[in-house]
Amino acid sequence: MSQYRIKVDPDLCIGAASCVTISPETFQLNEENKAYVLDHGTEPTERTYERVVEMDDSEKEQLIMAAQSCPTLAIFIYDESGTQIFPEV
Amino acid sequence: MRVVIVGGGIAGTTCAEELRKRDANAEITIISEEVHPLYSRVLLPHYIKGKVARERVFLKLEGWYEKQNIEWLPGERVQKMDGKNKFVELGSGRELPFDKLLLATGGQVKILPEDVRGVSYLSTLDDADHLIQLLSERKASDRAGIYGGGFIACEYLSIFSHFHIPTTMVFRSSHVWSRVFDSESGSLIEKQLKKQGVEVISEAVFEQLFGEKELEGFQTTKGKHLCQVLGVGIGTISDLSWIREGHIEVKTGIKTNEFLETNIPDVYAAGDSTEFFDVISGHHRLGGNWMNAQTQGRIVAQSMCGERALFRLVSSHAINVLGLEVIYIGDTDREWADKILVQGSVLEGGVAQLFLKNNRVIGATLVGRNRDRPKLTKMINEEIDVSDQ
Repeated sequence: MSQYRIKVDPDLCIGAASCVTISPETFQLNEENKAYVLDHGTEPTERTYERVVEMDDSEKEQLIMAAQSCPTLAIFIYDESGTQIFPEV
Repeated sequence: MRVVIVGGGIAGTTCAEELRKRDANAEITIISEEVHPLYSRVLLPHYIKGKVARERVFLKLEGWYEKQNIEWLPGERVQKMDGKNKFVELGSGRELPFDKLLLATGGQVKILPEDVRGVSYLSTLDDADHLIQLLSERKASDRAGIYGGGFIACEYLSIFSHFHIPTTMVFRSSHVWSRVFDSESGSLIEKQLKKQGVEVISEAVFEQLFGEKELEGFQTTKGKHLCQVLGVGIGTISDLSWIREGHIEVKTGIKTNEFLETNIPDVYAAGDSTEFFDVISGHHRLGGNWMNAQTQGRIVAQSMCGERALFRLVSSHAINVLGLEVIYIGDTDREWADKILVQGSVLEGGVAQLFLKNNRVIGATLVGRNRDRPKLTKMINEEIDVSDQ
């Protein structure tokens, strides 16, 4: 298991909902039609666009696929060392 | 396995990427009329507004294709296909044999019968660069025009509003998105446009442009509309003649079953030009959005590798129209639905349309009613019988 910081840029998010379709346990849409971040379907803290979530390799793969599916690349993923792993830079 | 993919957009490129993940030895060729590596068309409005840099629009870099051992032929066009003998022929005359073929040709924007500098389309990265150039040259007194009443027209609204350019929106039908929306939804959108200072002119048919070297305006059946830049969003069209001549069944798009297989073995279709069988709504339809195209590309790759995969997706699309959220979910074909229920009103500030077939919700549109989206998506996906609701 590793920790990943998942961030949605609400200014870029257009509510296409592809991330919600692929990873509903990690992303849902709020009243403003922007994706927010969950931790395995739950919200241990207040509703947020950014959260650190612990995931195994297969969950991480699913997360990357959700981020890749975003047509505006509004989802950013960082590993434990703070390195941005998606979008690749 | 030799795979040829016609179309380098999101459907075709996703298919290539997924194929490579599954089969290290497959010979993959992407033939693309577009000269740039894959980029996100959905990001173009953000790029035009300066929210993201040009390089961030790209989803793949030029080196990606070589790294993935994918032959990428940009700026190339297929002129002929032979499904029986399994090859396609490029405009250059080169013939490419295939074991499996994906047709992911996408759509091209419809254009006006004439052109003058100042007329803009919004389909490609080059179109976006062109519009940025036009906007950089504008004077304080300039006006913008929009011809069309659909998604692209609304993207122009958002762009011109961002730059504080007074705008006139002109379209042919009685209200915006008339193919999908009822008059109540249309009225709510138009109310929002007028509130934001947009001049809205409906039931106007384009006649001609004005201006010799630079655009000065355009004439419709409703009069003359002065503008120095004109955004045109009047739909898309696909040139499928070579596909039809290759004996592939084509109606409004390339017809496939629910597995995205055409009538010719080993030939698949994906993306905006595909008229697929929607297993949820029970009929063939086009589904021109990013989520559909990407998922279809992935599904086809899976099938090509021997795991025949069904395409089943409740896709949706959303756009913010000057502060008002507009969302499509599932199948919103007015002619296919048995009944269309309208909930809410202009007065309430939100209108939902529910498209019903055989007592099931198969699609919906939401204007200013975001909160209904999860519930309706679930109802469509789970094919819930609503006859007693």
